Amino acid sequence: MTELIAKLDLQMTRFKIIAGGPLEITGFFRIADSTGRIIAREEPVFLCRCGESKNKPYCDSSHKRNGFSE
Amino acid sequence: MNIRPIELFLNAEPEEERFMNDPRNRQYTNGEITVFWIPSKCIHATTCFRELIEVFNPGRRPWINMEGAPGRKIAEVVNKCPTQAIIWKYNKDLSESERLAQREVTREEENPQTLTEPEEEKAKPQQERIKPSNIRIMKDGPIVVEGKFKILGKDGDELKPSIMTSFCRCGNSKNMPYCDGTHRKIGFTDDTL
Repeated sequence: MTELIAKLDLQMTRFKIIAGGPLEITGFFRIADSTGRIIAREEPVFLCRCGESKNKPYCDSSHKRNGFSE
Repeated sequence: MNIRPIELFLNAEPEEERFMNDPRNRQYTNGEITVFWIPSKCIHATTCFRELIEVFNPGRRPWINMEGAPGRKIAEVVNKCPTQAIIWKYNKDLSESERLAQREVTREEENPQTLTEPEEEKAKPQQERIKPSNIRIMKDGPIVVEGKFKILGKDGDELKPSIMTSFCRCGNSKNMPYCDGTHRKIGFTDDTL
């Protein structure tokens, strides 16, 4: 039972807010664009939060250049 | 009209009183139904205006135009709001017989559901119940998330759990890490999608 709970917990999607940086997503998930097309799943990703990535929705480290903070 | 409101305001006077106590809340009516807008609950999932821009238009003031579509259509879209930031009810001047008819519909619809649903749930194997979280990148807007998930804040602390939320992507929200609608004011765009 505890094994099952541990497994469920591992599979639960985690959103990690990286201070001054992107949003890290890990776990069991699917990402769709605004048209509904699946663009990513399961593999950990970093999504832009500063608004200035040239590779949206992904992070391209622009936050380091523009001094993004919150 | 055989559509019915989500059961928040039907018999709940305290809910309605709470609504009235927050001065940011608004209500809009077309004589037939009234739509209530609770901005503090809105996560900017954009469901309402993607479905019915004639009525729900954030670029206009007032942003809800009750003359933009028939009451039935408005009610249908309001029921799709994932956070119940917009809800609706019939206006009070409905005749008694119409009210009774609504209650009958409610009973008929609810009973079969409560009988069948738990059985089906039990029959499913444990693993099938785990569903992936759905993440949507809204065009020129936030990251909308649904499902079971955990959020770790910038200081490593676990943030308040919920089943649906939206994260800021424009970098300018006043309510980080969540979306507060600022992307619209500053004209945030993403040309990659």
